[in-house]
Amino acid sequence: MAPGQDMSRYVGLFVAEAVEHLEALSRDLLALERERTPETVDSLFRHAHSVKGMAASMGLESIATLAHRVEDLVDVLRRGEGHWDRSVVDLVLAAVDSMLVQVRATAEGPPPTPPPDLLEGLSEAVRARTGRPLSPTRVARAHLFGGEPPGPAERPPRFQVELQIPASSQSPGVRAFLAHRTLAALGTVLFVRPSLEELRAGAIAGGRVTLGVEVPGGAARLREALARLPDLELLAVEPLDPSAPTAAEPPPAGLEPTQSVRVRTELLDDFLELAGELLLAIARLREIGKRMPEAHAPVLEEGVGRLHALAKEMHNRVMGARMTPLAVITDQLPRAVRDVARRRGREVDFSVEGAEIELDRAILDALAEPLLHVLRNAIDHGIEDGRSRAAAGKPERGSIRLGVRRTRDRVVVEVTDDGRGMDVEALRAAAVARGALTPEAARQLPESEALLLACLPGVSTARDVSDISGRGVGMDAVKRAVERVAGTLELSTGAGRGTRVAFRLPLTVAVLQLLLVRAGGEVVGLPITKVLGAVEETPSSVDRSSGAPVLRHGSGLLPIHGLAALLGFDEPAPRSPQPFVVLETDREPVALAVEGLLGQEEAVVKALPRPLDQLPGLAGVTILGSGRPVFILDVPRLLA
Amino acid sequence: MPKRVLIVDDAVFMRNMLRDILGAAGYLVVGEATHGIEAVQRHRELKPDLTTMDIVMPYKNGIEATREIVRTDPSAVIVICSALGQEALVMEAIEAGAADFVVKPFRPEDVLGVLRKVLGDERSP
Repeated sequence: MAPGQDMSRYVGLFVAEAVEHLEALSRDLLALERERTPETVDSLFRHAHSVKGMAASMGLESIATLAHRVEDLVDVLRRGEGHWDRSVVDLVLAAVDSMLVQVRATAEGPPPTPPPDLLEGLSEAVRARTGRPLSPTRVARAHLFGGEPPGPAERPPRFQVELQIPASSQSPGVRAFLAHRTLAALGTVLFVRPSLEELRAGAIAGGRVTLGVEVPGGAARLREALARLPDLELLAVEPLDPSAPTAAEPPPAGLEPTQSVRVRTELLDDFLELAGELLLAIARLREIGKRMPEAHAPVLEEGVGRLHALAKEMHNRVMGARMTPLAVITDQLPRAVRDVARRRGREVDFSVEGAEIELDRAILDALAEPLLHVLRNAIDHGIEDGRSRAAAGKPERGSIRLGVRRTRDRVVVEVTDDGRGMDVEALRAAAVARGALTPEAARQLPESEALLLACLPGVSTARDVSDISGRGVGMDAVKRAVERVAGTLELSTGAGRGTRVAFRLPLTVAVLQLLLVRAGGEVVGLPITKVLGAVEETPSSVDRSSGAPVLRHGSGLLPIHGLAALLGFDEPAPRSPQPFVVLETDREPVALAVEGLLGQEEAVVKALPRPLDQLPGLAGVTILGSGRPVFILDVPRLLA
Repeated sequence: MPKRVLIVDDAVFMRNMLRDILGAAGYLVVGEATHGIEAVQRHRELKPDLTTMDIVMPYKNGIEATREIVRTDPSAVIVICSALGQEALVMEAIEAGAADFVVKPFRPEDVLGVLRKVLGDERSP
């Protein structure tokens, strides 16, 4: 184990496993009292040895020492240098109990030190039988708690700080938040009352705030920092007893240790699949209910309704369990960025914001590679070397920001750099040279779309060939990966000012509200989140604007598209009234002419199998209550 | 030497009022900016001792501007001037690196009190 490594993530595993060994130790000891077999003694030795090794790796010196002495004593007895008697068993049992207490306490904080008489008793038992002293115990210097090496003596002093926010304060919540932040910048905030959430909400009874802090500089530094905050009275700074630090304080709400088990991701996939199937089966049942005689229908409907509510709840819970913070992938990025930047001889400041935002595990998994690729691109082709940057009047260190934020129903992941930007004209030229576009089409392409030409295989504006990003391969893979999880990719750039790459992603996979419509004789689904309205209009409200049909809607005119034609069916005969669905697209809203509006349906979306997933414009498929499969359309891509 | 202040606010009224309050108290208002982008530029040029920053502004808001200024100059002292009811935004600005805040509508003594405190100067400038 590397020295100084943060071991806190292993605490759960350590506790679980150490408890198992210690319980086995107890059982062996009790068995030994009944009948002494070499196997039992060996087993005793092995368990003590395992606990010693684990505790030492975790930097838990007191447990390791105790286990080591137990191991020594057992070893002595194993080699026949002494006798097992009741007093030895009592001694070892006491040691096991003490270790159990300490191991369990590890989950909550630094463990208590073992009673010295216990250690002394074990040493004495060995010495009495062998006449030799004990070998020393080796313990790894691992950082278990808050980055501080174990041992209370090395800890910075701790204080309890009482603050009063005057009644006249206009924003007591912000004031308290600022105080909390100021203290957090000085050292470590151990606790705060009221909780940080309550502070943010301004819920501070009597304006009184109590904080526990660990500050390297001591009380003087603390007072000095707080004196700089206006509108705040420092009532008291008192030392906190280091031996009984946070235990005496109620833990802040929401931070209580929760019971958890690890499950494989595939298991969650299975649960989701099953919950989805359950919803589909219930929908089927509901359809059948509609055909029941009236006398039975209400009873059945009530039952099915309840079943649906339960299945929905279960589905939601499973979805919730799949939500994972982006930090899972972003935590590794600073290191990767540093490595790439070093290899390229670039100075780059990298920051991540919003990594606590959660996404469905499946989306997250699909995101890791593309994100890394975009960051590599930013360093390889975006950030200039220090001299060029200075010449361009920019800070010598480049900056790359990864920002994550939530909008209504999406998560936006943005990578922004302040490098040289992308050359839109060069992209147009490259696309023409590759034969992907005619010069005319390339010229007419709006900038936002021309930038996406970088996603065509083989098109790149990179000035240099790099071993890291390749030659334009990559952005096409990024785009495909994002689209595979029903996301979209956006690029924007300013020459000399930098580039922004944004992934717009759905929060979750799976359940969608659909508007079912008929087009070309088929039933298809449109995601309700994209539907702005559905109207039926007489042909008189359809105008023409520069030759193309448009629909008057609200105060504007919307371009009309026939959905049947978009899907490649024959254009149906015009009807009166003609139903339209007004849909939001990436740019302006559009009116889709359909043959009928069939209603709304909650659908469990299934990904399309190959080769159907290659068809642009199909977002997925669902199975209706009637058992009929229905395609879900991605209209912006159909129009593209 | 009087402390040099940059005022950032999109409202002329607010800028004038702040300029008057600060000028009367002996601060030197070295510049003004009307939106976040300008704020970042002017801060870089002027290197003021203190910047007052509105939050809701066109082009680039005060939170973004604060973040950018503090990133390039970690010693920048930025005081947020916000309207009542914008607590969440103010906290965001503090997280972005603002040193303190005052709430509009403000009284001159409140503004000056905060400025003196954050500049570590209990007396008049």
